[in-house]
Amino acid sequence: MFFTLIPRIRQAILLTAATLLLTGCELFEFSPNDVRAADRDLTAKNLARLQAQPKPTGGDTLRFVFTGDSQRFYDEVGPLVESVNRQRGISALVIAGDISDFGLRREMQWVNDRLRHLKVPYLTVIGNHDQVANGRQAYQEIFGPLNYTFTYDRTRFILIDTNSREYGFNGKVPDVGWLQQQLADTVGIRRQIVLCHVPPSNEDFDPTLVKPFTEALAKAPRLLFHLNGHAHSFSIGEPFADGVTYINSFAFEKRQYVILTVWGADQFKLEKVAF
Amino acid sequence: MRIFLLLGGFFGLILSALPAAAQAPTDSAATLSVQRWYVPKHAVLQTAGGIGMVSGGMGYSLLRQRLDVDVLAGYVPRHYAGNKALGIFTLKTTYTPYTITLRDAAWRMHPLSFGGLVNYTPSRTLNRSRDSKYYKGYYWWSSTVRFGAFLGGRVTRELKPNATGRQRAVSLYYELGTNDLYVVSLATNLSGLKITDVLTLGVGGKFTF
Repeated sequence: MFFTLIPRIRQAILLTAATLLLTGCELFEFSPNDVRAADRDLTAKNLARLQAQPKPTGGDTLRFVFTGDSQRFYDEVGPLVESVNRQRGISALVIAGDISDFGLRREMQWVNDRLRHLKVPYLTVIGNHDQVANGRQAYQEIFGPLNYTFTYDRTRFILIDTNSREYGFNGKVPDVGWLQQQLADTVGIRRQIVLCHVPPSNEDFDPTLVKPFTEALAKAPRLLFHLNGHAHSFSIGEPFADGVTYINSFAFEKRQYVILTVWGADQFKLEKVAF
Repeated sequence: MRIFLLLGGFFGLILSALPAAAQAPTDSAATLSVQRWYVPKHAVLQTAGGIGMVSGGMGYSLLRQRLDVDVLAGYVPRHYAGNKALGIFTLKTTYTPYTITLRDAAWRMHPLSFGGLVNYTPSRTLNRSRDSKYYKGYYWWSSTVRFGAFLGGRVTRELKPNATGRQRAVSLYYELGTNDLYVVSLATNLSGLKITDVLTLGVGGKFTF
């Protein structure tokens, strides 16, 4: 009996183990803070997609969706994707940070699993919530660099980590020197757009860097506007009365997003869309 | 840190050596009754389940071996953690109410286990949500302490008793679990997330000595 039962049990165990391994790779979590992700370098992949796609709008007009703070609002991601996919002439969607709530790898994957159903590529900048726990590592693994730029249709997007509090206000975040360099590079550029999470008017922005940061923006000749998130509700204005327009995105929870249409050197139209 | 580990190992050795040295093996019943209560009853080795790529530890069995209380130290190598390896320290309790003894009496099936755990990931490797750079309540949760719950099963194989007559056994178990932050994510997104989104899987072995 011993000899007949053992192989059967062994077989059962092996079979169970094999099934678990096959179906369970995603479930097999070392830690909620680990950074093992099937989808990596999404920023680079989405940029490649963007550059490969023909621009859907004519002339020098560029149209894109501006949103932010997807942060634990998974119920809203599906309806947002459906709504954006119905829009015409959209080139991309940008998220002004706080992809996750707890800075966990899985949260970023949940968002990507839903946003990858967008017909257009999407691009992100890191938010403060994405830096809690091991989030900064997870973000870099799944999305990519914290500061980066890309140019599409002669429009230069400058995406910068402005979450100063996450670094204990160390005087290095945001990297104003890097920002100045990017703003100075205007060869072949018709307009520039800065996208970040925490705006300089917020208490989470390094107070010692507010002046150099805002002055760099005010001096930039091709800057169209400054886009940010963090506040969850939409706003537009000139908080520093220096000619620079600051626009705060709707968070996903508001069930609204903004479509920005830009043309010429400094023209833009803003539409709010509820979903 | 290393000193504590060394000390722990040292005292652990002394503790496990004590009962064996303390009495002459007359008969197995007497040996069992002399077994010191504080000596761990089993060693555990687990992979995944949110407590390390590998985690190992010791534990006790209470309530006629239905309730296990284990302490584990886990490790996530740098490759899977970003720029620094993670250490995870876990206190886990597992309740296994049913035992089915197979026809071959050496094998036992435990179709259901459930339990809870709490673990701590030292802050040196993480951006701590309760750090002094945040004012009180800036983030409501702790990034270093996780609470978890799990369901699973276990199969046990009895081994030959050891020299002092204690019954030894080896068992394999699996656990489907989740943690507090995943539960919060699911509970606030009942249409946006599925239960499978928040599940984790761990498998391990226990050696009762």
